[in-house]
Amino acid sequence: MEPESIDDFENELRQSLERRPAPPGFKRRLIERRSGRRTQQQRGHAVLWQRLAASVALACVLGGGLAWRHQQEQRQGEAARQQVLTALRVTSHALNKVNERLTSHGRADQE
Amino acid sequence: MARDWQPEFEPLVDEHQSMVFSLAMRMTGDRGLAEEIAQDVFLELDRHMNKIESPQHACFWLRRVTMSRSADALRRRRVRGVDLWVEIEEDHGVRPEERSSPLGARLEGLLATLPEPQRAALVLRYQEDLSPEEIAATLDAPLATVKSHLQRGLKLLRAKAACHLREYIRGA
Repeated sequence: MEPESIDDFENELRQSLERRPAPPGFKRRLIERRSGRRTQQQRGHAVLWQRLAASVALACVLGGGLAWRHQQEQRQGEAARQQVLTALRVTSHALNKVNERLTSHGRADQE
Repeated sequence: MARDWQPEFEPLVDEHQSMVFSLAMRMTGDRGLAEEIAQDVFLELDRHMNKIESPQHACFWLRRVTMSRSADALRRRRVRGVDLWVEIEEDHGVRPEERSSPLGARLEGLLATLPEPQRAALVLRYQEDLSPEEIAATLDAPLATVKSHLQRGLKLLRAKAACHLREYIRGA
């Protein structure tokens, strides 16, 4: 084919490939999708924050519960320790008395 | 760094919707799919608005993403085994005022039968009037490859036209 006709061919191709207008309502549908997506994103963010807040609250409740339980156990342990010490003191006192009696009996037997 | 130009979504849509839709339409041959691709491209632009530096950058970005999205859509459709060229070849779904001349429509139909890389190069060359260097940048392909696609695509199209459009050849 002659160079001139190549140019003609390319020109015809260029003309046949002119831009076509977007379908009617394209922009409206796009803007609707965009705002729908933004609403969804906002909802998504709200849900994320709600979940985060709920998780923090749950962690606080669990942590508080564990701390309270630990404190209770410490108190009970301290009370038990005090009871044991009192019992030991009472036992020691009783043993001292028995020891005194035995000592006084021993002396009486020697005399 | 402060920029003089601040991108606004709606003016960019007004300015480029025809370009984005036409590129997607000529790459996929499906008006519905082309509209879907065009909308996705603009929504992606909306997400990347802060990265757009100038009107030229916006245009380049839109062309590049449209071509990439269209290639993805073609790949997905190919996997599903769907023939995409029914609409363009049969001219379905096109409004009468959008229809080109009979010869133009036939050339467009023949273009649709070219391999995808050649079609992409020719669409960017003859629809968007880009230079081979600009096409290479848009498609992220080596310049030599783009030149080869342009030459081979044009040669193949001319051969197909010689077979199918004899009246045109006779008239030339």
